[in-house]
Amino acid sequence: MSADRDLVVTGVGVVDAEGFDYRTALGRRGYKYLPTATQYFLAAAKRALESAGQDSLEAVDPELRGAAVGTNSAAEALHDRMDRTVLQTSAADLSPALAPYFSINLFGSRPATEYALKGFNITLVGPRVAGFDALRTGQRCVALGRADWLLAGATEEALPPTAPGAAASEAGAVALVLEPAAAVAARGGTAYGRVAARSFFLPPRAAHDPALARELLDSALKELGHGLDTGLAATAVLDDSPVGRAVATALGDGTTHVPARAGCLEPVLRVAAALRAGGEAAERRPSAVVTAAAEGNVAVCLVTPGGPDTERDTDHKMRRAER
Amino acid sequence: MDDVLVTGLGVLSCLGSGADTYWEGMNAARSAPGRVPDPDARMDHPLLYMVPEADLPAGPREQDGLLLGRASQFALEAARQAVADAGLTLPGDTDPRRVAVAIATAMGDSGLHDQWRSAGAAEGDRWTPTFAVSSVVGGLLGAQGANVSVSNACAAGGFGLSLAADLIRCGEADVVVAGGSEAYSRVALACFNRLGAIDPERCRPFDAARQGTMFGEGAAVLVLESAAHARERGATKAYATLAGTGWSCDAYHTTAPEPGGEQIERAMRQALREAGAPDDGGGIGFVVPHGTGTELNDTVESRVLNTVLGAAARDTPVYSLKALLGHTGGAAAALAVATAALILHRGSVPPNVPLGERDPDCAVRLPTGPTAPTGPYGLVNAYAFGGNNVSLVLKEATL
Repeated sequence: MSADRDLVVTGVGVVDAEGFDYRTALGRRGYKYLPTATQYFLAAAKRALESAGQDSLEAVDPELRGAAVGTNSAAEALHDRMDRTVLQTSAADLSPALAPYFSINLFGSRPATEYALKGFNITLVGPRVAGFDALRTGQRCVALGRADWLLAGATEEALPPTAPGAAASEAGAVALVLEPAAAVAARGGTAYGRVAARSFFLPPRAAHDPALARELLDSALKELGHGLDTGLAATAVLDDSPVGRAVATALGDGTTHVPARAGCLEPVLRVAAALRAGGEAAERRPSAVVTAAAEGNVAVCLVTPGGPDTERDTDHKMRRAER
Repeated sequence: MDDVLVTGLGVLSCLGSGADTYWEGMNAARSAPGRVPDPDARMDHPLLYMVPEADLPAGPREQDGLLLGRASQFALEAARQAVADAGLTLPGDTDPRRVAVAIATAMGDSGLHDQWRSAGAAEGDRWTPTFAVSSVVGGLLGAQGANVSVSNACAAGGFGLSLAADLIRCGEADVVVAGGSEAYSRVALACFNRLGAIDPERCRPFDAARQGTMFGEGAAVLVLESAAHARERGATKAYATLAGTGWSCDAYHTTAPEPGGEQIERAMRQALREAGAPDDGGGIGFVVPHGTGTELNDTVESRVLNTVLGAAARDTPVYSLKALLGHTGGAAAALAVATAALILHRGSVPPNVPLGERDPDCAVRLPTGPTAPTGPYGLVNAYAFGGNNVSLVLKEATL
C-alpha cells in the first residue's frame, strides 16, 4: 500500500511557554500536578480541537481516533529533578503524582484520556525530527486503517539549566487535527490545508558528501511532489553540525534559515505558522519546512494551504475569526 | 501486500549475548536478579536483571561525536548480530536508501545522564539527546531510509516493530533493522520503587504472591525484510513472518489498565484478523504475554486471553518471558517477538520458570517443560503506561 488518504488539517493549536498558565488554559481543577510539557500539549490539543470545531471529534468513533506526538526533551528537566532527589535523600521523597512521568510517552498522552482517543497513541522521539515523524507516522496509520481521525504534534520542556546546550532549549507545544478531506466536506467543515512529511537518514560520517545530502533531500521532496529544482519556498531549521551544514548546502540560496533549538518543536511551529498564514491569498503556495539533527536524522514537511473547497474555506474561516 | 519476514536476530539479555545463548538460557529457565552496581541507587529495592559484565560489548563509547550510553551500546551490538545473522552486508548489497531503522526504548541513554549527575557533568556544550539510539544504529549501518525512534513505555518495542512492518508494507523500505533496547536507569527504577511496583524477590508474573514487577536490561534487534527482497538477495532462512499487528489505547488511566480489558481485546483481535488467523483462537500455537507481575495487569490479560482463545485457551501454552528476563521496558516486546520467532523456527516453546502458588484469577497454561506449539501462529502482547496496547501475530515462514 502506498496511497495515503487525503487528510486535511482542520485544527491548529499552539502554546507558548512564555506566560503560560494552566489555570486559564485548562481550568483550575485536575491539572495542577501534571508536568508542564503535559499541560502544554493538553492545552495545544484543546485549542486545536476548538479550532476544528466540536463536530470534528464527535463525528468519529473513539476507536478510530488516533494520536501521534513527538518530543525529544520533555522529560529531561523532570528527570534531573527526580534524580537529584534520589541523590540527596532517596526515592521515597519522590512525588507519587509525578513518578509515572519517568516515561516520556506520558507527556503527550493525556489528550487520549480527555478526548477518548482509543485508536492509538504513539510517541516518537527521534532527535529534532520527532514532530515530523509524528505527522508521518500518524498519517501512515490512517492510511493503514488504524484510525480515521488524527491528533498530531509536538511538546517540549526546557532542558535543566545546567545541562549542556540548555541555552538552546525550547518549551511549548503544537497540536494539529487532521481529518479525511471527504469527511470534512461531508460535515461542512473547513480546512487550513494539507501537510505531508518524509524523513531520511544522512549518516554523520557521510555528511561531508554534498552530493549525497542533495540526492536524499531531492528524493524526499520528490516523494511529496516537488524537488530541489522546482522553486519551492523552504524554511530550514538547522544547527551548525556537519549534517545541518550539508542540508543547508543542498537547499541552496533562497532558503529561510532558522536556528535549530534543542528539541523537535520549532519545525512544527513553522508548519503551524504556514498553515495559519494560508488564509491570505499571497501565502497560498506550497512551502517546505526542513530540519536535521547532528545525529543524522533529517525530515521535511510540505505545507499546502487551503482545503478541498478553498474559497468557501477562506470565507468560513474569516467569518469564524470575526466571531 | 508482500509478507514481512524476520530474517535475522540479535539479542542481549541477562542470559548473555547472542541468539543461541538466548535460546539455551530460555531452555535452562534459570535467572536471578542482582543489586545494581550503583552506590547512588537510594531506594528500597535496587534490583535488576542485568546484562552480565562479561557480555557487555567492548564499545564504542562514542560514535560520530556522540557519547553513547548502555542502551545505545546494547542496540549497536544486537544490530550487528542481527545483520550478520541475516547474511546482509550493510552498507553493501542493499540500496541504503531502502534500509530503514526503528529502535524503541523507554529510557534511551538516560543512564548516561544519571552518571553525569553522580560523577560530574559531561564535557562540552553539546546536548546529548537521550533518545538517539536509533540514530546511532543508522550511523553504524549507513542506513539512509527512515530512522524512527518510538518511546511508548513498556510497549515501545511492539509499536516500533509494527512501524517497521508498516514501512515495508507501505513500500517505504525493503529492509528495516528494528527492535528495542533498554538499560539501567536510576530515575526509572527509583520511580517504580516510589510507586510501590517492584517485587522484592523476583519477577513473578501470574504468581499468587507477586508484588509488582522487576526490571531487566536487554536488547533485541530483528532484520525485517519484504519477502520479495529476501528471495531476490538469496536469503537462506526466515525465522517467521510478522503477519499481523493490532493497536489500541485504553484512554482510561495514566498507569492502570482498563479493568474490563476491552481495548486490549480489540488489539489482539485486530492482530489475529490481519494475520489471517482463525477468529476462534484455534490457530494460536502459543502466547508470549505482556505479564509483568503487577496485580491487575496479569489478571486482566489472563481473562482476555481466555476470551480471545476460547476453548483453546486450556491447551495453548503461555510463555512468561518476563519471569526469566525481568521486565525489559521498551525492549520487552522486541525480546518477546524475537522469542516468538525463535519458537516458530525451532518448533518448541521453552519451559517456563516455575512459579509458587498460581493466582486462580490467572487461568493460563504455563508449562514448565518444553512444549510443542499447538498451532501455526504465535501471539505477542505488550501494554504500557498511558493505556497503550499492541499485539503482534507471527506465523511460520517459508522463503
